[in-house]
Amino acid sequence: MDNLTYIVFISLTVSLGLMLPLMEKKTRRIGIFMIVGIFSCLFISEINSILLKSFDNDLYRVTTTVTPVTEEIIKLLPILYYAIVISDDRRTLVTSAFAVGVGFALQENIVILTQNVENVTIFWALVRGFGSGLVHGICTVMVGWGISYIKKRRKLFYCGTFALLSTAIIYHAIYNLLVQSKYQYIGVLLPILTYIPLILIVRPKLKKRKIALSADSNKSE
Amino acid sequence: MYLYFSLALTVCAGIGFGYGLYRFFRDESALYVRMIIFSIGSAMLGRLFETLQFLVNGQIESGFQVGMLGTVGSFMFLFSANFGQMDSIVDDHSPRFRKTRIISLAAPLLTALFWVVIVAAKGLNATTIPLGIETIFIAQASYFHLKHLIIEDVEYGLIKAIRGYNLIALIYVLLCMLEMLVKSFALPSFCIIIVYILQCLVMLAFVPVLERGVKKWTT
Repeated sequence: MDNLTYIVFISLTVSLGLMLPLMEKKTRRIGIFMIVGIFSCLFISEINSILLKSFDNDLYRVTTTVTPVTEEIIKLLPILYYAIVISDDRRTLVTSAFAVGVGFALQENIVILTQNVENVTIFWALVRGFGSGLVHGICTVMVGWGISYIKKRRKLFYCGTFALLSTAIIYHAIYNLLVQSKYQYIGVLLPILTYIPLILIVRPKLKKRKIALSADSNKSE
Repeated sequence: MYLYFSLALTVCAGIGFGYGLYRFFRDESALYVRMIIFSIGSAMLGRLFETLQFLVNGQIESGFQVGMLGTVGSFMFLFSANFGQMDSIVDDHSPRFRKTRIISLAAPLLTALFWVVIVAAKGLNATTIPLGIETIFIAQASYFHLKHLIIEDVEYGLIKAIRGYNLIALIYVLLCMLEMLVKSFALPSFCIIIVYILQCLVMLAFVPVLERGVKKWTT
């Protein structure tokens, strides 16, 4: 059998890629970033397997110390590129960042599923979906949201991005540490407990903005 | 013992961060202030990681461990706030402030000296090199904190109002370096206790002191 990681990658990206020409501009951007996230996961899985060998196959050490660093760096790159070259609009960056994270988690989850197909359960699916799916999304959003603030000033941008990246790495490492310990339930709750307040804060602000925008357009009419 | 201290630091930083979020994120506050709040948040996450490592493994990994990035991120946020936001307002790079700039170099030099002492005793190895990297980030932030503490105020009391905060930040720098010393050498336990208790107090005092200064900007 060929490498499963590549089989998953091709089957996911081809179907998503074929859908892109039919999408509207905004949704197409989300689709593209999901594919970028899936590709990032494929790319980093190769790097991580090399690193795992160099750490004498110590999976625990690698997943709590090394992979959070490598994965967060690789997920940051497309967002950084987008912020520098195309747009630093906060809403666009946040949604794009979340799409990268979700794409990354999608590929990772399916690869792990195919490698452990006999052991997986509904509980496993819930843990992976709510846990790692959200963690990847939240970490990338954290960086994307921060970049939208600091992008405007060059002096802030370089050091601020690094600081944001450090924070995302620790958050990711905390999750990895918890889910591999006897406190794995807390590990699963961590991203959910971060996500819910985030949504409660962000949603009303988005609504306010929408109302303000529609009021402006009514005035101009 | 380290587990309880690490837990106490996580809680104190968490309180500081939570209070900062409550006070400054309800309305549009200055980015400078927000970055300082994030600095405490980063420190909290780093301490949380260390606490969890103690809980799960019974010890912290020697050499590089992700918890170190909490301190690095924390000082990087403080550095960004000062270098990217405040410094261009308070220092116009004229010869007038040359003396202040030179004196301010004392802070990073003193910070580096702590690491040199550790290296002189332990040598360059997998433990001291990550500490050295951490020191670089602490040192660069310390330069601006000392500078903003002693610089002459020409912008309508802008920097004078936050001198208390800069002093607290300098104490935080000193305590982080002392923590490195305490962890590297088998110092008496009361030294460890004092360093950690002071760190907890600094984490709690950071935002209220900053808030008191920032209030003066608008009054």
